[in-house]
Amino acid sequence: MITAGIDAGAATTKVVLMRDREIVGFRISGTAFDFLTTAEKIYNELLLVSHINKGDVDTVYATGYGRNSISFADKRISEITAHARGVYFLFPEVKGIIDVGGQDSKIIVVEDGCVTDFLMNDKCAAGTGKFLEYMAKALEVPIDELGNLALLSSYPAGITSMCTVFAESEVISLRARGIAKADIAAGLIASVARRIVVMAKRMALTDQIAFVGGVAKNAGIKVALEKELGVTLFVPFEPQITGALGAAISPALISRY
Amino acid sequence: MYDIIIGNMMQSPLKSLDYFQKSYDIRVGQLQEEKAKGTKIVGTFCLFVPDEIIFAAGADRIVLCGGKTDTIARAEQSLPRNICPLIKSSFGAIVDACRNGSLSCPHVHLVDVVVAEATCDGKKKMYELLPEYLPTYVLDLPQKPCSPEAITYFLSELRKFGKYLEDLTGNTIREKELKKQISSSNETRRLLHRLFDLRRRNPPPVTGSEVLRVMQKQFFLSPDQFREGVRQLCDEVEHRSPPSGSGPRIMISGCPMSAGNTKISDLVEQKGGVIVVEESCTGTRSFWELVDENKEPWTALAERYLAIPCACMTPNDQRISRVVDLAQRYHVDGVVYYTLSFCHGYNIERLLVQKALKKEKIPLIAIESDYGDSDVEQIGVRIDAFLEMVS
Repeated sequence: MITAGIDAGAATTKVVLMRDREIVGFRISGTAFDFLTTAEKIYNELLLVSHINKGDVDTVYATGYGRNSISFADKRISEITAHARGVYFLFPEVKGIIDVGGQDSKIIVVEDGCVTDFLMNDKCAAGTGKFLEYMAKALEVPIDELGNLALLSSYPAGITSMCTVFAESEVISLRARGIAKADIAAGLIASVARRIVVMAKRMALTDQIAFVGGVAKNAGIKVALEKELGVTLFVPFEPQITGALGAAISPALISRY
Repeated sequence: MYDIIIGNMMQSPLKSLDYFQKSYDIRVGQLQEEKAKGTKIVGTFCLFVPDEIIFAAGADRIVLCGGKTDTIARAEQSLPRNICPLIKSSFGAIVDACRNGSLSCPHVHLVDVVVAEATCDGKKKMYELLPEYLPTYVLDLPQKPCSPEAITYFLSELRKFGKYLEDLTGNTIREKELKKQISSSNETRRLLHRLFDLRRRNPPPVTGSEVLRVMQKQFFLSPDQFREGVRQLCDEVEHRSPPSGSGPRIMISGCPMSAGNTKISDLVEQKGGVIVVEESCTGTRSFWELVDENKEPWTALAERYLAIPCACMTPNDQRISRVVDLAQRYHVDGVVYYTLSFCHGYNIERLLVQKALKKEKIPLIAIESDYGDSDVEQIGVRIDAFLEMVS
């Protein structure tokens, strides 16, 4: 049985193809203005390189913010359920998930792959990938390097504002005071980590925690979170695809769903 | 925007809902006539102001509690932005009507006086600004309802309120009339119990969006109109065939949803949830307790109204146990805890409600929102996930 999972996220679109319980391949691309066009394009590309005909795909599942725009999907599930399933597939022992994406961050409490509670930040870029993206710009550092740069700091600068706009002016004033780039980067990373940790503690996450979403690729954030939470986080080989993966796992393949 | 999708797609629309709409149009004309004849019209905001006393004094009443977003910008010209939308909407409507003659709330022009109540801080302070626009009377409430002195004090407040109404109308409140009003209000409360009891069926024969729109009319219509409407609705719903499929059973608990504000209920049902009970001012809080007709009427009123489990009271154990009791009685799969933005009372009290529900293994999702549509998508994602979780 071949299934496809499409995670039409606010910032990036992810597609995963599965044959029974094996991951055949995946694809990640920035989401264009139109959710559907991006999803169709990378889905077709992935089918091509995987040598699979569209007609051989049994079911296409969509998740993510733009899931209702994916007209060719057969079924849709929320990204919360999708992440829980995807992470369960990779790390069955996990009890909590921290997902930090481009537009929101979520904490999901799971029990054997089933969601028992969750929390999402709302309406604001604080504690999300968007915040880091703007701050990297303000520091004139490529976003991919922000985390590693932060790891070089010995004296992280204090960043108090959670608001993207105010934090940017804080960064500018720190730059004006001659604070080292690495120290500002470390301050920014710490501020995002603090924000996420507050949410995680609200949901009483203690151990067996997975860290997923695009921001999980940021080594600085991972280290900062691990320090605050006092645990080692499970990070998948490709942390961006757990939503698409969870969507692609056909409920029929996992007896308990 | 949600008006087009309300109701249950699988069922025929309820005829008795038309009755409520028609009655409202009649009601506005009726109040205008009464006013022209010299009857005093009282504008109220809250369940804590006993209808029975107003009617026994020969006055009439209409609610001024705002649920529309369009008067908020007007209110924000003077009120702080970060207070609850209900307060801003209500205040904006009054300012609009009294300063610009606007009809954004058609009720404001009908009232002679406002009877406010000392509930939450935001409302109390907003009421202090009202005398500039309309004569305002504030009914005080003890904040620790379970203390022995509370009833005594509230009783004296109700008597003072009665005296105020007597001076306003020139009528005397006779005990016989007060008892008659109590018995008629109780009849309405019993009918609402009948309506809500029908919702215990699985699946329920009436949607939450339908019931909410009826409950919002409760303090617009005359008591007779409303009672008759609920009677017709009960008769119709009783024999309505239930919808074929059915999603998880959901309870809404928290802040009032004043007329104009149906966002969360509509979203929950649009996403496939089935709302079976609302623990709110536009739900059980408005009718659950009856007034004891065997007691001296003023004391009975004081006891009944002080038992309303509002988050402005402390401690509010009666609400916590009520929520758990309702969740079990209506066999709910999950609770959507609704807080108006910046409503600290209900927002903080959520922790205790959640703890009590957790003990009974009933999941809760907290949704905080204002009257705008900007967060509909984000809230939709949460509701989708919550419904998947409790299914």
